[in-house]
Amino acid sequence: MSATLEATANQKKTFGKSTREVPHHSQKASKWYPAEDEAQHKKVRKSIRTSAPRSTLTPGAVLILLAGRFRGKRVVLLSNLPQGVLLVTGPFKVNGVPLRRVNARYVIATSYKIDLAGLDSKKIEEVSAEGYFTADKAEKKKGEEAFFKQGEKPEKKKPSSSRAADQKAVDKALLATIKKEPFLISYLSSTFSLRKGDRPHEMVW
Amino acid sequence: MGDAEIKASSWRLVEVGRVCLIHGGPSDGKLATIVEIIDHKRALVDGPATDTKIAVPRQSIALAQLILTPLVLEKLPRAARTGVVAAAWKKADIEAKWQESAWAKKRTQKERRRALTDFERFKVMRLKKQARFEVRKSLAKVKASA
Amino acid sequence: MAMGAPSMFTLGRLTEYQVIGRHLPTDANPAPKLYRMRIFAPNTVVAKSRFWYFLMKLRKVKKANGEIVSLNVIHEKRPLKVKNFGIWIRYDSRSGTHNMYKEYREMSRTDAVEALYQDMAARHRSRFRSIHILKVVELEKNDDVKRPYIKQLLTKNLKFPLPHRVSKAAGTKIFVGKRPSTFY
Repeated sequence: MSATLEATANQKKTFGKSTREVPHHSQKASKWYPAEDEAQHKKVRKSIRTSAPRSTLTPGAVLILLAGRFRGKRVVLLSNLPQGVLLVTGPFKVNGVPLRRVNARYVIATSYKIDLAGLDSKKIEEVSAEGYFTADKAEKKKGEEAFFKQGEKPEKKKPSSSRAADQKAVDKALLATIKKEPFLISYLSSTFSLRKGDRPHEMVW
Repeated sequence: MGDAEIKASSWRLVEVGRVCLIHGGPSDGKLATIVEIIDHKRALVDGPATDTKIAVPRQSIALAQLILTPLVLEKLPRAARTGVVAAAWKKADIEAKWQESAWAKKRTQKERRRALTDFERFKVMRLKKQARFEVRKSLAKVKASA
Repeated sequence: MAMGAPSMFTLGRLTEYQVIGRHLPTDANPAPKLYRMRIFAPNTVVAKSRFWYFLMKLRKVKKANGEIVSLNVIHEKRPLKVKNFGIWIRYDSRSGTHNMYKEYREMSRTDAVEALYQDMAARHRSRFRSIHILKVVELEKNDDVKRPYIKQLLTKNLKFPLPHRVSKAAGTKIFVGKRPSTFY
């Protein structure tokens, strides 16, 4: 602190016979005004709020997905992640929906609940941890080789064996409870769609 | 020209003692009997049912909001008080007769179906399919043997 | 506002008020006579206004030299009984003033007066301001009923069908395969 003060302190200079104190060049006022006003950055006044999931979105609830690749599928809610994201599973064997994050907005919660008692809570915690779904991004080859390979078929994506194992571990206990209730397996494997005369706002879910 | 058969029309009448279903308005779906005819468009009705779901307090109501049922409280005096109406209602066993009717059954079934959850709707659909399959199977058997 | 009176937003639905007023006491007359009126009005403000309007026509008292002593709502004694009412009115038509007698079958005096205003508006295009209600009387005996349009409702064992009705369910779909049946 003192060092910087020293550096920008007034200096004594001799002009002919006399000496005068002269301000440091960095302390002097600018000779001109800027031609244009400098744009001030807007201050962000938003704060990140914790999202509270809807009361119907309790773990174990059967959901109907409304958007995305799996729209219309009936899936099981495993847990609520922060920022209105839900962790769901098909189960994969029943309707092909893997362990997956979905937006809570694009989901209808039905009143049917599946007991999640037998599930390994540690496994779910591991899956819902940050970075689980984003960690593995394949590094892309660039350059000459990639350019000449454009015409060829790209390599097919393969599910990582660890993810597949996680899926099996989660679904195993879930499938056991689902099998106990008659019609539940076929219910989960069926897709939802609106029929003629259906009024979704008047329906009970 | 054939012989014309002349029959008296069997209209349900607006009359004192006629049991009606209220259709529309705040007391939609309630059962009441006409106690007095006010004029050609309105009547005084009273619904003294013990089942609170279909009971309705004494009030004046437009005939446009009433659907006449085939049930009638016979010999109900004009402008009878609620106690008298309730006694006649009980004696004629109107509530049981109404609940037995196909009309009321259809209404309760409709109401029940409307209150089904998504999973229950799915189960109804599957069970209906199964029933249909059985019926068609036996029909095919009969057809094959004939 | 008095109890039981409708709010300002339901203007037009009438209430029956009893308004009592008098001339202000003077040295010459320290105890002036009280005047009482039963007035059908949408609210208390209109009721008081109508009281002064009628009193000015009858006596030498006006709002500036008079006061309202009391104002209260008159409730129907038996609002669930169907009654026949006879109403005498004075009405200013476009060409003159007429007295009229009309009958209504309603459940309360206010209902009967409301029906009267609607009826007069429909048949004679007359407004609230051009009608003075002189007297409203419940006709207790059927023999007292004079008008045939009420007499026809007093026949013994009255019954009638509702021959043509359009069911409300028929309007829910735009296109249907069958013509709606209006037979009832």
